[in-house]
Formats: sequence, C-alpha cells, structure tokens
Amino acid sequence: MTFRRWATGALCALGLVFGGASAMAQKAGGTLVYIVQPEPPSLASFLSTSGPIGLVAPKIYDGLFDYDNDLNIVPALAESFDVSEDGKTVTFNLRQGVTWHDGEPFTSADVQFTVMEILSKVHPRGPNSFREVTSIDTPDAHTAVFNLANPAPYMLRALSAYESPIVPKHLLEGQDPRNSDLATNPVGTGPFKFVEWQKGQYIRLDKNENYWKEGLPYLDRVVGRFIPDASTRTAAMENEEVMYGAYGAIPNIDAVRLRDTDGFSVTTDGYSMINPMALIEFNTTTEPFNDPAIRKAISMALDREFLIDNIWFGYGKPATSALSSNFAATGLYKEGLPNYPANADIDAAIAVLEEAGFAADADGVRATAVLDLIPYGEDWRRAGEYMKQALADIGIELELRYEDVPTWLKRIYADYDFAMNVNYFYQLPDPVLGVHRHYGTDQIRQGTHFVNSSRYSNPELDALLSAGAQEADAAKRSEIYAQVQQILAEDKPVANLFEMEFLTVYNDKLKDHATSALGAYGSFDRAWIDD
Amino acid sequence: MSHFARRMRYVVKRLLQAIPIVLAIIVMNFFLLQLAEGDAVDVLAGEAGSATPEYMAELRAKFGLDQPLPVQLAVYLKNVMVFDLGYSFRHEMPVSELILDRMLATLLLMVSTIVLAVGFGIVLGLIAAVSLNTWRDTAISIFALITYATPLFWVGLMLIVVFSLNLGWFPTSGMENVAMFYEGWDRVWNIAHHLVLPTITLSLFYLALYTRLMRASMLEQAGQDYVTTARAKGVTENRIMFVHVLRNALLPVVTMAGVQVGALIGGSVIVESVFAWPGLGMLAFEALFARDLNLLLGIFLLSALLVVAVNLVVDLIYSTLDPRIEVE
Repeated sequence: MTFRRWATGALCALGLVFGGASAMAQKAGGTLVYIVQPEPPSLASFLSTSGPIGLVAPKIYDGLFDYDNDLNIVPALAESFDVSEDGKTVTFNLRQGVTWHDGEPFTSADVQFTVMEILSKVHPRGPNSFREVTSIDTPDAHTAVFNLANPAPYMLRALSAYESPIVPKHLLEGQDPRNSDLATNPVGTGPFKFVEWQKGQYIRLDKNENYWKEGLPYLDRVVGRFIPDASTRTAAMENEEVMYGAYGAIPNIDAVRLRDTDGFSVTTDGYSMINPMALIEFNTTTEPFNDPAIRKAISMALDREFLIDNIWFGYGKPATSALSSNFAATGLYKEGLPNYPANADIDAAIAVLEEAGFAADADGVRATAVLDLIPYGEDWRRAGEYMKQALADIGIELELRYEDVPTWLKRIYADYDFAMNVNYFYQLPDPVLGVHRHYGTDQIRQGTHFVNSSRYSNPELDALLSAGAQEADAAKRSEIYAQVQQILAEDKPVANLFEMEFLTVYNDKLKDHATSALGAYGSFDRAWIDD
Repeated sequence: MSHFARRMRYVVKRLLQAIPIVLAIIVMNFFLLQLAEGDAVDVLAGEAGSATPEYMAELRAKFGLDQPLPVQLAVYLKNVMVFDLGYSFRHEMPVSELILDRMLATLLLMVSTIVLAVGFGIVLGLIAAVSLNTWRDTAISIFALITYATPLFWVGLMLIVVFSLNLGWFPTSGMENVAMFYEGWDRVWNIAHHLVLPTITLSLFYLALYTRLMRASMLEQAGQDYVTTARAKGVTENRIMFVHVLRNALLPVVTMAGVQVGALIGGSVIVESVFAWPGLGMLAFEALFARDLNLLLGIFLLSALLVVAVNLVVDLIYSTLDPRIEVE
C-alpha cells in the first residue's frame, strides 16, 4: 500500500488553527522578551541538543516538518512527502521560493548536505535518527529522495526544526562544521533572523520580512534574556520585563503563585515531543544492585505521588512503565504493569527483599548505598532527601551525593563509579530515538553521556529493540514494545519514577505561543502580543 | 634626586617585582584548576545530550587537553608573554575579547560601588565619631551592624520586591532595556537606571565596613598628642576634626579600599547573579562550572594584575596623605 499524504490535509488543519484564532484579530508588531536559561554555549543546534540552544535556534532554522499539539505532521520546508510500499524510499517535495536569511535560495542540495554531512555525522542524536539513510538523491532542486536500508518509521518524527534543523550548504561546505562561524552567527530560513548576541545579557532576533509563511511572523522582534537567579526571573516576569519562561525557568514554587495571579498563566503544553521521565539508574554490575530483587523493591517502596505532590507541586504523572504514557498516542504504551505503584507498598517491598535473602542486621539495615543526584536544581536534592527516608523504611541506608555537572557526568558515564543515580531522560517522540539508548547492549558506551550507564545487557531485549526499530506495521510494533515493557518491569535496570511536566509561565498578553508540539523549542512564528 | 624622579624609580621597581609574583600566581592557578574533576569536553558533551567517545577525543585534541600538563602550562605561559590569553572553546571567542566585553559592566558596578560605599562610609563614620554616644552614633552603628550581617542576595531580592515590584521605580534586572534598545543619551540614562539597585545592594555591605572603620579610626586619632597640642594652640574644634584628625583617620580606610577593589572584581558574583548584571564575576562563576580553564585563568590573571596595580596606587596615595611616609 502506498500512502500519500498531501499537504492539503495538513493545510486544512493549519486553516483550522488560523480560523479558530482569527476570532481574535492578531496584532502585528511588538517585541517579545523571553527567558533563556542558562546562557547557551553557542547557537549550533546542528551540533548540540542542549536545552538553551533549543530555546533560540528553532526561531532561526526550519525543519522539514513541524508537529501540532496532537503530534500530527505539519508541513514546513517539505510541502508533502511520500513513503514507498516497502518503506525504504521516502520522497520529500520541498517548498519553492524559500530563501536563506542571506538571500541565497533554499534547494534540495541543502537537505542532502544537512542530513548526510551534518546531522548524520556531528549531531548527537542524528546518527541514530538517520541511521538507515544510505543516500539522498536530488532529481531536481525541490525534490529530496531518502534511500533507506530498512524501514525507519521513527525518522518522520525527528524532522522538526529543533531535532533536525536544515542548515545552509553554501555556508558550511568545505568547513569543519564543529568550528564554523555559523555556530555564533546563524543563518536559517526561519521566521526570525539573528541580529546580535550580547554575552551575559541577551540574544536579539528580528523579523524575517521574507519568511515563506505569508503574513508571518507577527512579532517584529524576539529577545532571549539570560537571568541567572530564579527569584529574579520570577520578579522580572511579574514586572512584565519578560513575558515567557519555559522548562522550569520559573520554579514550580513561584509558578503556582503566578498561576493564581491575574495576568499570568501556566501551561504544561508544548513538551509532548520531549517526554521527560524521572528515574533511578542502578549500577547492575556491582553489589547490591546486581540483584533485580532489590531494584524492584526500591521501585515499590518509593511513593511516586508523594514526590510529585510535595516536591513538584502536583506537576507530573506517576510512571507506570518504562515508556511514558504519552506513547499511548502511537499505540506503544502498555498499561497495567507490575512494580510501579503510585503509592509506596512497604510491606510488599520488604517481602521481596526477605525472599531474595537481604536479611536485616541488628539496626534493621539490609543494604547501604550512595545515591547520586542529578545536579540540575534544588528539587532533585529534596527528592534525594525524601528517598533517603523512604528507603530507610525497608532497611536500605542511603548516603546522598550532590556534585557539580562535569564531576557528576564523569562519575556516572565515564568512570561508572556509582551505585544508584537519580536522573531524567528525554524519551522523545519515539522509543527508538529516546528509550533504546538506555537499555540496549550496544548502548553501553563508556564516556558517552545519557546512554546505558546501568550496563544492563539482555540479549532477548536487544533482539526485541532491533525488531521494534524496523517494524513498519503498527500492530506488530506495539506487540514488540509490550514485551519490552514487560521485561523491563521485572528486571528494572532503571526504576522509572514519574513523567515530568515542565511548566511554561507566560504573560496573558502573549497569545498563540503554543501552537506546535515543540512548545518553547518551536518558532514563535504565530505568537503575537495583545496590549 | 627630585621628588618626582624618586617616585618614578619606585614605581618601576615595584612593577619589576610584580613580574615573578604574577608568574607564580599563574602557575599556581593553573595547577589548582587541574584538581577539579571533569573537563570542558565533559560539560559540552553532557549539554549536547550525547556524544561519541571519538568525538570527545577529537574535541580534547582540538582544545589541547590531550597534551601532558607541563606542555599545556608551557604553551599557556608562552602565549601570556605576548599578551595572548588564549581561546575559550566554550564561547568560541578569544578570552581577551570576552573579558573586555564584560569589563565595562564590571567597572561600572565596581566604581559606583566603591564611590558610594567609601563616600557614605566616611561621612557616616565621621558623624558617628563626632557625635559619640548620642542617638546619632547609636543609630549609625545599628544600621552598619544590620547591613553588614544581612546576606547580600536577600538585600538584593528585597530591594527588587520593594522598588521594582511594589513601587515600580527601577527595573528588576539586566543592564539595559532589551525591548527598546535605546541609543545615545537615552541609553546612558537607561543603563544608569539599571545600575541603581545593584550598586545600592553591593555598597550596603561595604558601607558598613567603612563606617565602622572610619569611626574607630577617628576616635583613635582624636586621642593622639597632636590633637592636644592643636587644642592648646587654640585651633577650633571643627578645624581639628576636619583637617587634622580626618586626614590621619583616612589612612586605614584607603588601605581597606585598596584591598577591596581587587576583591570586588570577582566578589560580586551574588549581586551580578541576582540582578543579571553581565559582569566578570558571573563570567568566572559560569566558567568554573563549564571547566573553561582558559577563561578562568584569564580572569584570575586580570584580578592579580589589578591587585598589584591597586596596591601600588594605594602606596602612592599614602605618601600624599601623610608626607612622613616616604616611597623608596
């Protein structure tokens, strides 16, 4: 079956969005000042998926696709696409008349160069997203034909401006992409042009007058400001010096207060492509966590709802599987798995430990371990303090360790010098992109960050993961991932805690800022200010 | 030898003495920073989300981090000799350019703070000493005690709450309005407007020090023999206080100010962070967490040079304030 989704369908959807919004007439003009925190190291989104880069670069670059809030594909630089019957040829029909910010025309050669020479080679996740792409043909200036070794259904979910920005061939060809001027002086096809970067202060982008979306963007200017102190960020928001802060820029404790203040709102929309999951990684190669029983007991003894309600102010959902429940939309999520209680089950956890032979000594201690905590904010430290208490109830004595980012990264991913580690992972819009890296034997890559640090290795699971990556049939695919989740629920190399909900806090004068599934990693092309 | 020539010789001698000191500081800083776990590549790769070991090895080679330590140090020293502070791979900019960029913001904050703190500190200390054991003295002493004991970040946040959020007189943070991008005199005025709260916050702390110091110093001088002599000669009390005692009492204050100019360059991290002021303190702070050693060494070197220079200036001011102190 050849299925061909013409752009018309998506354009209708787009029309609906416009139609819906036009009940309130958009006003053109104005400057949107928003929080970018911390200051990004560069703007090279083709080299790094670092959060603060994602807050800025997708305003400058376009992707082949965008995705709406229901995760449907919305055409961007690709007007339409066509997947062949065997799933091994994907043809993109590119938009005509698009120009780069420097005036050069955008063509299929840019797409070919971006995917083959840049994303597949130097992007952190690109080699995975495009691993089946063997070559790209460009029969004419507006057609790009991707030739795949195997079907890669997940690839079509990785084509956003954030995940796979299309970059100008004429400015990168023949250079070292890791050392190019484009990193700090980006030139894209997106709605806003890069103007200046005052280190320590702000990045300024101005409207692209020649943007290919007719009449867009509405805003004249977008300025990303760096404010190191969280309390000051909140004050700046209250004082209307900034209008938008995402990814927890305003801490939850202040966000719930602003939510109840006139003139401000809070949303959890705009994170469904990211799918952040809080979890504990165990070192499965050393005592005591080489025994699945103790890993299971810990997962049972932690009160997920307590963590969410008391430390994250109610924002989050208890994890019920190794996959986020957001994967229900694509049929990959399995319900009703054991060992993920929303509320702690101390008795059951102790029973598991007793059975596995973890006997309590005179002080009631069955095992001791050091718990490492991700150094990305105070919330994690509080979560660690809770876990220390909660696990004492089942006789596991914890010592907490909180280090700075480089020390922590080296300990967990290069030296493997840890027992258990609280962390969070982006599961991204497909398990192949965000989840496989955590469990596959081929993902035990010493020195590489955010991969299989548990060093869990299970040939049965490996076989399922590689089958899942290539299966084009949706029903068969969900059957494969049901087995994956079943195995992980029992083996627990990683104990998933809760599906995180990041908060975006914004001034009510700012409208239509969340029109894409990418949220803050989207483009602001339809955002406008009603003052 | 004339007075001027003697001074010049003194300055040259002190500058020559400074060279080995600065070199020793560089070498010490270099080895101290190596004690931190992890390097710039770990941080960059960690932020990027994922990176292959080959890529990280390539980066280390590019940054020169794969060389043995003594070689890295030799390369750095060689570059410093020709005033090349190296390259910040994190910011993809030469270190000197980064530092110069932030220098202006730091100098603005530093100079206005020193002027405010020393100026008001001298005045308050003077008033307290003149009206010893009256309500004025008590009020000033209590004020100094409170401002000295209050954490800087809290003072900053409270000033923001009162003067930005409640009264709306000043912006909460930043160095200029980034929605408007003013030019010319409007911009100068706008920056001055943004400078008020950070300056007050930072000066409050130092103000307390200078007030206490000035008061104690005035009281000490007031008991000296020369005061009795002046009084016996029939000099008015006002002239004794404001000409004789004041001039002598200033010496310790000048010493203190000299020490603090050096500290201020890096010591305002908290104020820069609370007010998002784009100064060198924040730059150094971030560089530490990013293991951007070239940048850190550059900032440390600058601080060292500044301390050396300020100490020299202070010694020269001494001899002006008190001609009995000879430079030699």
